[in-house]
Amino acid sequence: MEQPQTHQLPPRIKRIWGFSALGSLLVLLVLDGLIWLAYKFWDWPLWLVIFFLILTVIEPTIETGLIPYRYRFTRYQITDLAVEMQAGFIFQKRVAIPIARVQNVTLNAGPLLQWQKLTKVSIATAATSHDIEGLELPEAERLREQIMRLAQEARHDQA
Amino acid sequence: MTKPKRTHPLGLLQHIAKSFKDYWFLIILLFTQRETDSIWFWAIITLLVMAFIIDPLAKWLTLTYVVDPDAVIIHSGVFVRHHEHIPYSRIQTVQSKQWFYLKPFKLEEVLIETASHEDRTPEARLAAVPTSVAVEIERRRQASLAPTTTASATSEETPTTETPSVPTDLHYQINNGDLIKFGLTSLIFIPFLLVLLGLYNKVPRSLSDHLIADASHLALALLIGGALVIIVVAWLGAFLWTLTRYYHFELTRRDDNLITAKGLFQRNTITAPLNRLQAVRIKQNILRQWLHLQTVQILIASKAASDDDDNDLVIMPVIPTPTVYTVMRPFIDWLPAQRPDLSKLTVPRSWYQIRNALLTVAAPVALLWWLFPSWGWISLIFLPIAVMQGRYAAHNTAGDLITPTLLALQTGHFWTREVYYVPVDKIQSMKLKRSIWMKRTQLAHLTINVRHGNKNQSIHLRYLAVAAANDIYQWYLHQA
Repeated sequence: MEQPQTHQLPPRIKRIWGFSALGSLLVLLVLDGLIWLAYKFWDWPLWLVIFFLILTVIEPTIETGLIPYRYRFTRYQITDLAVEMQAGFIFQKRVAIPIARVQNVTLNAGPLLQWQKLTKVSIATAATSHDIEGLELPEAERLREQIMRLAQEARHDQA
Repeated sequence: MTKPKRTHPLGLLQHIAKSFKDYWFLIILLFTQRETDSIWFWAIITLLVMAFIIDPLAKWLTLTYVVDPDAVIIHSGVFVRHHEHIPYSRIQTVQSKQWFYLKPFKLEEVLIETASHEDRTPEARLAAVPTSVAVEIERRRQASLAPTTTASATSEETPTTETPSVPTDLHYQINNGDLIKFGLTSLIFIPFLLVLLGLYNKVPRSLSDHLIADASHLALALLIGGALVIIVVAWLGAFLWTLTRYYHFELTRRDDNLITAKGLFQRNTITAPLNRLQAVRIKQNILRQWLHLQTVQILIASKAASDDDDNDLVIMPVIPTPTVYTVMRPFIDWLPAQRPDLSKLTVPRSWYQIRNALLTVAAPVALLWWLFPSWGWISLIFLPIAVMQGRYAAHNTAGDLITPTLLALQTGHFWTREVYYVPVDKIQSMKLKRSIWMKRTQLAHLTINVRHGNKNQSIHLRYLAVAAANDIYQWYLHQA
């Protein structure tokens, strides 16, 4: 068996995460506006407005702040037998999915990912589904081919 | 090629009954109208006729089925026609339900399930068909498997005692004593209890206040007595419920199928191929733990057992602990011959689980105290319960790799000890988690994902010895 190699996600994923934090900020700002209106016209309590304002500042800040950490510790690797994903350092998580259990692989890209020519890869088994958040398009397609080829070889009727 | 057949006219009754079960609340609408000449009244009547007569009738008229040599084919639908082909090799379970009134006509309801994730309903539901249909489907399914049995046997997880077919049927039937024990030790009386308490709340305030005022000098005795009566009634209700559902429980192994049959008013027969078993669970609640009784269930990728406990098919309602493995092994070859030692994953410290249980109840206790300052202290009783639950969970968390292809896992959630046996090729994925603080304490969490029903069953083992947990994870990652 060849020595497996762990891969990091493409660095451009950081930009996507940045934009998604920006998106959270926008959603929260809209919410703030609505709650402020409710406070103004329906006498909703003031503390609710303040609470949401604080949330608006804190949530996107944390989301943005955690990007380097998230990038640094998110990894995946593919061997002939299994796909493995790792995430986090403070709360470390490792998931193993044997290729023989893979039922299907889906490539999925929203507008942001499409713009950056990246794609999300979902690997589904008979019971669970696991995502690799973003991969280069050719890399993702290569991965899909590899998983499907190995799955064909390793196939015996599951479930 | 045979001609598509309609189900028996009695099937119409089944359809109507199902409509009532699904849309009974529409009848309430009828009581909202006082005058019978208002347009709304007639609109409601039309709606009811549609729901309870036209719709079932249309369903019955349009549903036809064919038992073909290579698939069961079902045509259905009024406006949108569905044509469902179910190849025999894809069938997970065949279930037949026979209400007592169908018995004289030799009819039954047949439900066929495959592993697809679609829908909340079975792939095929034939309301009333002759009992020969299920037999025919089973025969065809066996025939479709026959050429591949040798091929699949080699890829099976059990090279040890592979006997392709047992010459004579293995049979087990529950005896009355066991059934009564099973009913009496069932903890499903707790939901019954909640229903009864709910009903108690519906008693008009004035009446209950009156009663309490009358008997205020007896208040405490009355309170305790009332509580006891409610518990006993709930318990009896649950007992009778279990009794009718598991009446005459039978387990049969025929060739490579497990067949369970049970029920008094409705005889419920489920056939599950052995190679479709996802896992075996042996469980006991704390009551049964004291009495040394166990229940055996199988996890299958089918919703046929959705009426059973936790939606998993019960294949042995109650069995004395010392004989579990000797009785069960003939039915499922790959079970161990005796209870294995699973202590490898266990850590002797239960503090973390106790702490977590305490943290879970801390917020509700604080809230109760804050809302009802004078009575909130009663909620303190949850704290020792939480401590005991934490201890229970920690003591019962265990597991080990008992053969190179079979993993055994034990958990202790909610006062129930469960032992899972999962063949490696049925573990869909595995997750290993540890926080940075658990590095120092040499602990880890392990999650094993298994298919059950139409979804995933995660078996969580928390606070394990890290070396042993890692061994299992690496074994799974590198298994050939």
